[in-house]
Amino acid sequence: MLQSVINGILLGGLYAVIGIGMSMIFGIMRLTNLAHGDLMILVSYLAAVTISLFGLPPLLTLVLVIPLMFFVGFVIQSSLLNRVLGKGMEPPLLVTFGLSIILQNALLIVFTPDAKTLTNPLATKYFALGGNLTVPVIYLLDFLMGLAVIIALSQFFQRTYLGRAIRAASDDEGAAQLMGISTKRIYSYAMGIAMVTAAVAGVLVGMTFTFYPYTGTQYLIIAFGVVVIGGLGNMIGTLVAGMILGLAQLLGAYFFGAGFQLLFGYVVLLVVLAVRPQGIFAR
Amino acid sequence: MIILRIENLNVFYGDFQAIRNVSLEIPQGSVVSLIGANGAGKSTLLKAVSGLQKPAAGKITYSGADITGLSPDKIVAAGISMVPEGGRVFPRLTVLENLLVGSYTPKARKKRNTLLEKVYELFPRLAERSRQLANSLSGGERQMLAIGRALMSDPRLILFDEISLGLAPRVIKDIYQRIKEINRTGTTIVLVEQDVKRSLKASEKSYVLLEGKVVLAGRSKELSEEEVRKAYFGL
Amino acid sequence: MGALLLALLTMPLWAAQYLVLVFMLVFLYLTIAQMWNLLAGYAGLVSLGTQIFIGLGGYTLAVLTEYYGFPVWLGVLFGGVVAVLFALVISVPIFRMRGVYFTIATWIVAEALLVFFSNWAYVRQGMGFFIRAAYKLTTDQLYYAALFLGLGAVVLVYVLLRTKLGLGLMAMRDEETAAETAGVEIFRSKLACFLISSFVVGLTGGVFYLSQVFIQPYAAFGINWTIAVVFMVIIGGIGTIEGPVIGAVIYVILQQYLSEYVGMSLLILGAVAILVILASPAGIMGTVQKKFGFALLSPRRE
Repeated sequence: MLQSVINGILLGGLYAVIGIGMSMIFGIMRLTNLAHGDLMILVSYLAAVTISLFGLPPLLTLVLVIPLMFFVGFVIQSSLLNRVLGKGMEPPLLVTFGLSIILQNALLIVFTPDAKTLTNPLATKYFALGGNLTVPVIYLLDFLMGLAVIIALSQFFQRTYLGRAIRAASDDEGAAQLMGISTKRIYSYAMGIAMVTAAVAGVLVGMTFTFYPYTGTQYLIIAFGVVVIGGLGNMIGTLVAGMILGLAQLLGAYFFGAGFQLLFGYVVLLVVLAVRPQGIFAR
Repeated sequence: MIILRIENLNVFYGDFQAIRNVSLEIPQGSVVSLIGANGAGKSTLLKAVSGLQKPAAGKITYSGADITGLSPDKIVAAGISMVPEGGRVFPRLTVLENLLVGSYTPKARKKRNTLLEKVYELFPRLAERSRQLANSLSGGERQMLAIGRALMSDPRLILFDEISLGLAPRVIKDIYQRIKEINRTGTTIVLVEQDVKRSLKASEKSYVLLEGKVVLAGRSKELSEEEVRKAYFGL
Repeated sequence: MGALLLALLTMPLWAAQYLVLVFMLVFLYLTIAQMWNLLAGYAGLVSLGTQIFIGLGGYTLAVLTEYYGFPVWLGVLFGGVVAVLFALVISVPIFRMRGVYFTIATWIVAEALLVFFSNWAYVRQGMGFFIRAAYKLTTDQLYYAALFLGLGAVVLVYVLLRTKLGLGLMAMRDEETAAETAGVEIFRSKLACFLISSFVVGLTGGVFYLSQVFIQPYAAFGINWTIAVVFMVIIGGIGTIEGPVIGAVIYVILQQYLSEYVGMSLLILGAVAILVILASPAGIMGTVQKKFGFALLSPRRE
């Protein structure tokens, strides 16, 4: 059981990266991106293609997929989502739902429904802690990368003009426009940055787990869980939320069998949603 | 010289016409007040100038250039800044961050240190509280921050929307004092007010708006309070 | 109108069996589209969980007929009952959530059920069931069951919108502030819509799986059901009664032609739905209504 706790906490770092992009977008423009998980899985596939083309080690594919996904996010926001923002709740939600359908099925057509993984030597390595306990190297990497993304992102929001402008726009869109901030363009940048976090998450997920064209939904729900439990724009909350979900899943699997791993994450999330719809760490 | 000229402006909200054929001229370096009751169209006029509301017809010229219908970011970059009603500071940003966001345009960004010094000189209180979140400030301090933030874009023209609303008389007096100082450095000021007496006292030129139309205009010194009040209520 | 009704009622007598089957599908899809429209178009509840009730309806039927020897139609009816009971239970937590939270919660519940059913030994995990009691049903019987649901759904929504409940909901959609004052009543109306639609979708799930004779969790609780209803209602016109009908006809025709290309057909549905939302968010029927002031069944929303 202690092993499940270790793994669950480490996995939390990865879940935090999965959720942080969605949390950003939700916080800034009140947009729930239902395609977030699928965009992430798209990255897993792109990384797989890059590896087979250039023989790069999986982590190095980030050099390619990060700029690519920034561009993808920017284009999706400026060409699709900016047009439906502020038109009520349904249109943006349904557009991202449509995107999710398109991505899942495009992946299915191009890559077949077979399971894939980004093979890497780290996946089978362990640090022994004594007493049968181990730290899987890949989970440790997930955790450290997660921490790095969160720190980098909070520095970006604190220290750069763009970061401050994004926060200003999320506080008061009209007032931000009066400062000379073109909020629509800011939103496009924000989505680009959210997709950079999705790029990191996609590569890590691909290195840690197997993925299929439809696995995006599973990660969307994890991302949503991180948003709900962690609260908006709260970096520490996001990390803790990731850990809570990771622990819930792995302890669920420990007690009830591997088949119930996902179910436990969902149940914890539903309970939190019901008891504290505003999130545990909401201010 | 006229820094801002508005000709035959018409602005609609849906079917409702908020501004009807308004024309006015703001001389460079002056303080001009727009007086009117709630719903007279003053705020809408400022929104049209700052680009937040697109006019249906008419022309807005700033420093000789047509700026009608430009987006707010272009208008700020051109040198027009607005202090919106209620200040609308960014509550979850610190005082310093609010000010830095004020200098978002590339031109202002280069001069941001000198601008920041000037703002702190004008409002020493903001310097003391620079690390505090804006939502921890008092009403008066927020209004100072809103003004400071507007100054950070290095504007040549500032539009003040209902600056004294909800503030204590002592604070209002203080803020008007600062506005005078800002004007002294050559910045043109447009004040939107409901308080007739204060408006006339603070400005060189006044326009009275009623139901979206200019019903009275003139040099503030030459207008009597009585006459302005009548126009204000449409008597 | 009367002639159309007569044609539909007598269809098995004159039409080819293939056509009868196609129309059966149209009616089943039209029913769930109408129910989703009742929620999203009138009650302001955007659900991504249609499959919850399809799956529960289908599985109840399968379990009752396979394990307990229930007659099929009673199994279908119990499917509706189980669906509405489940809706009642989950309404306690999910009606505390607003807007997007409600929407995602419905999806999470559906995913949770999918995982649960594919691990639950009692329902044979992911392997699924053959519903053998359905083997002896004829196409005509299934057609009339579907016709009953389809016409029933249209009539139900038509009547519902003219009751106090429906009028209140529409007033809420058109004027949010006015409705805030009547919070409790609105809550009850929304809950009523949610329960009614769950019951009807549960029945539809039963009839659908009678026609399929085989049920397994990945299809029964799959997101494809939601994709279908969203597509039908958006294309046809959200917040109109005619919209889901038009949408269902288009959907089933597309499905017939594109059924060979599994991924491609869904991809096209997604793309078309996005285009409609961007270009003409009122859908076919909404646009027709606006242009010609024509409305056959829908109460005017203005």
